[in-house]
Amino acid sequence: MTTPAMEIDAVDVGFGPPGQRTEVLADINLKVEKNEFVAIIGFSGSGKSTLMNLLAGIQPPSAGQVRMNGEPVMEPGPERGILFQNYSLLPWLSVFGNIDLAVKQVFPDKSAAERKDYIQGYIDMVSLTGSEWKKPAELSGGMRQRLSLARTLSMQPEVLLLDEPLSALDALTRSVLQDEIIRIWEEDRRTVIMITNDVDEAVLMADRIVALTPGPKATLGKSFPVTLERPRDRTTLNFNQEFIDLRNEVTKYMIGINEEAKKLRVSAELPLPDLMPVDFNSLEQKPRVAMTPDLKPGEGIRNQDAEDHELVGAANE
Amino acid sequence: MSEQTTVEKFKYGLLKAIDVSGFKVFDPVVRLFFGEEPQKQVKDITRFMLMPIVFVFCCLVVWNFVAPRHKTKSGEVPTPAQVWTALNVNDTLHDRENEKESDFALSDEAREARIEEIKALVVEREKDSKRLKEELAIVEADVKEEKAAALEPLKKEYSDLKAAHKEARSNRKAEAEKLAEAVAEKAKTSEDLLVFLRESNELKDGEKAKEQILKDQIAEINNNKPKALQSAAMASDSMATEVQHLKKRLDYLTSGNRSLKVAKAKDSASTALETLESADSPAAILAAAKTVVKNEERASKIAKQEYPRASTIWFQMWRSLFTVFIGFILAAVFAIPIGIMCGLNRVAMACLTPIISIFKPVSPVVWLLIFQIVVGAFFPNPETHPFFVFLNSLPIVGWLNANPALIFSACTVAMCALWPALVNTALGVSSVENDHINVAKVLRLGLWSRLTKIIIPSSLPLVFAGLRISLGVGWMVLIAAEALSSSEGLGKYVWDQYQNGSSLTFANILLACFVIGIIGFFLDRIMIVLQRAVSFDDGAATV
Repeated sequence: MTTPAMEIDAVDVGFGPPGQRTEVLADINLKVEKNEFVAIIGFSGSGKSTLMNLLAGIQPPSAGQVRMNGEPVMEPGPERGILFQNYSLLPWLSVFGNIDLAVKQVFPDKSAAERKDYIQGYIDMVSLTGSEWKKPAELSGGMRQRLSLARTLSMQPEVLLLDEPLSALDALTRSVLQDEIIRIWEEDRRTVIMITNDVDEAVLMADRIVALTPGPKATLGKSFPVTLERPRDRTTLNFNQEFIDLRNEVTKYMIGINEEAKKLRVSAELPLPDLMPVDFNSLEQKPRVAMTPDLKPGEGIRNQDAEDHELVGAANE
Repeated sequence: MSEQTTVEKFKYGLLKAIDVSGFKVFDPVVRLFFGEEPQKQVKDITRFMLMPIVFVFCCLVVWNFVAPRHKTKSGEVPTPAQVWTALNVNDTLHDRENEKESDFALSDEAREARIEEIKALVVEREKDSKRLKEELAIVEADVKEEKAAALEPLKKEYSDLKAAHKEARSNRKAEAEKLAEAVAEKAKTSEDLLVFLRESNELKDGEKAKEQILKDQIAEINNNKPKALQSAAMASDSMATEVQHLKKRLDYLTSGNRSLKVAKAKDSASTALETLESADSPAAILAAAKTVVKNEERASKIAKQEYPRASTIWFQMWRSLFTVFIGFILAAVFAIPIGIMCGLNRVAMACLTPIISIFKPVSPVVWLLIFQIVVGAFFPNPETHPFFVFLNSLPIVGWLNANPALIFSACTVAMCALWPALVNTALGVSSVENDHINVAKVLRLGLWSRLTKIIIPSSLPLVFAGLRISLGVGWMVLIAAEALSSSEGLGKYVWDQYQNGSSLTFANILLACFVIGIIGFFLDRIMIVLQRAVSFDDGAATV
């Protein structure tokens, strides 16, 4: 068996001091093969961005290991190009300047002329020709994400990490950019891990979809291989039974795990003891004696017991 | 998108320039000039240009009305017109200093030509001066006559009144004596005498008050200077000063001229040289040789001499600007690196926080005194200290006269201007967006590139916002420091005026007030332009 391009091995991530730790991710295991396009789908707040930071190396795991080609990931680097949700463009640099910063750093040996042609190639690739000297503030959201994509691709990363790259865009721009990313990926295949909250997007773009269960203690759930023929055409795909079935299956599964999590969360709420608030105004001469008029000994404790039983029951389901 | 024509390009370029320089008020004027929506522009101009102009005009009217009605120990509060006169007077003073300076340095044919020119001018001006004096004498005589005519009845009335009162007083005195006698004979009670005396005292006060009213009227007429007299006196005075100035110029062209002085010293040297060659006794030889060397030294010293300028308001203005510039640069040089360090490193920030917190609120006056002592210790003999000798040999600095006062004023400015720049830089550096830091991490930028490519560009708008506050603080502090320490500059100008007490003193102070304000305004505008030039997010700069 070949070494996977990216591998997450029994990773936990938690925050906070001991005793009050919030476990965001627990027991994450994932293997991504070379040139595979994997989509990780999850609800908002389930730790998707933490997972992405983990893969990029920005966030170290509390336990376990992230490996790239068998080597542990210790720090971020250009070999894992990450496309941020909010573009992360440098607003004082032009389109050209933003890409140039990355290219200069990753390919310091390129001459100025080479670099210029190289950068122009990427600007053309993401259809930003003509806007080379514009500042990010002068670009639309879609154009900014294209620029971000061009910058990430110009580093020629082995693995491309897409962190909800299109979620800040309107629906039309989104579909255009989806097609564009797919076109670029098909021209120049590489390993892609994309995080998304859009089932359609995942089915349309990925080779494999992995569900992320809702947090806290989010973990990777079922994996769905997408066997649809490429190139996939979004207009015809809507009538493709395989597409529809897969989409429904994933959606159903996601809704299912969400319901389950909700149930868990509901039962985790502590029922409060049935106590009447004390009305101090109605008390007469002896307020201290009248403080606990309705609470008989043992009542509060009885409630506590009932709650424990309920929790166990939920866990057994 | 349609192609822009050249005119449109120019128009939008101009509009952008106006916007960047913070003079957005003129936006509708430009648009109106290019014929864009005239009605809207006219409305905007009326609201945002005409109304402020009208308002300022109203303020001037109020000033003009209130000022002469408030009498102070050093004269009336000057009106706008008087301040305007003060401006002209100060300007003339400055021009005259320039003329004398150029005269002083003139030599050879140019000097000869200038002498002829000035001599002709003196003759002409003296004629004018004589004529004006005569005119003044006529006006004075007229005024005197008028005054005498107006005073005569008043004076007569006054002396009559005085005589009448005198008589009344002596009458009362006699009556009082009579009463006293009566009291002694027990014909009247002592109470009657007391009542009478009280009444007569009251009468006396009343009489005195009447006399005072007349006296005041007479004094007012005496002091009254009719407009005609005032303007005649002013014209005559200014012409007299002009003549005096021209004569002074002639002085600087002849006996006081640098080239002549040098020639004289050289002459003495060569005479002494002749004596040296013809001398025979050792004592005479030595004496002559000493004279030669002394005169040679004198000649070379005089050749380097500059005209000793009197400090006019414009000179003081340049000097203040130079001092604030030095202080500001000093502040920036310290504040920016320290600020970056604090922003990058939380330990550095923690170390510096107590120092910043304690020294930030210290009054500039205290810093001034401290720096005065410290700087003074470095330069016991500033005249000959190589540092100042070097500074004064530089073109502009030499003209502005570098001395320890300049250094400690600049240090005071720097000390007070340091804090806003430092705190803002630290804030700017520490609040770089996390996304940008992530980009740097992914690109594996080293510390230096991280600093120069991400952190500094990203914090520049805040750095410049801090520098802008610093410059404003520095300008305010400087004027106070100069006034307190007699370091040349606008502050000293104000202080000198306050001490002098000439007729224009008050107007000069108000003039300086406007000069300081207008310069402060322009300094702020320059900083706004710089701040906007480095800002990447629109609308970061506000007025």
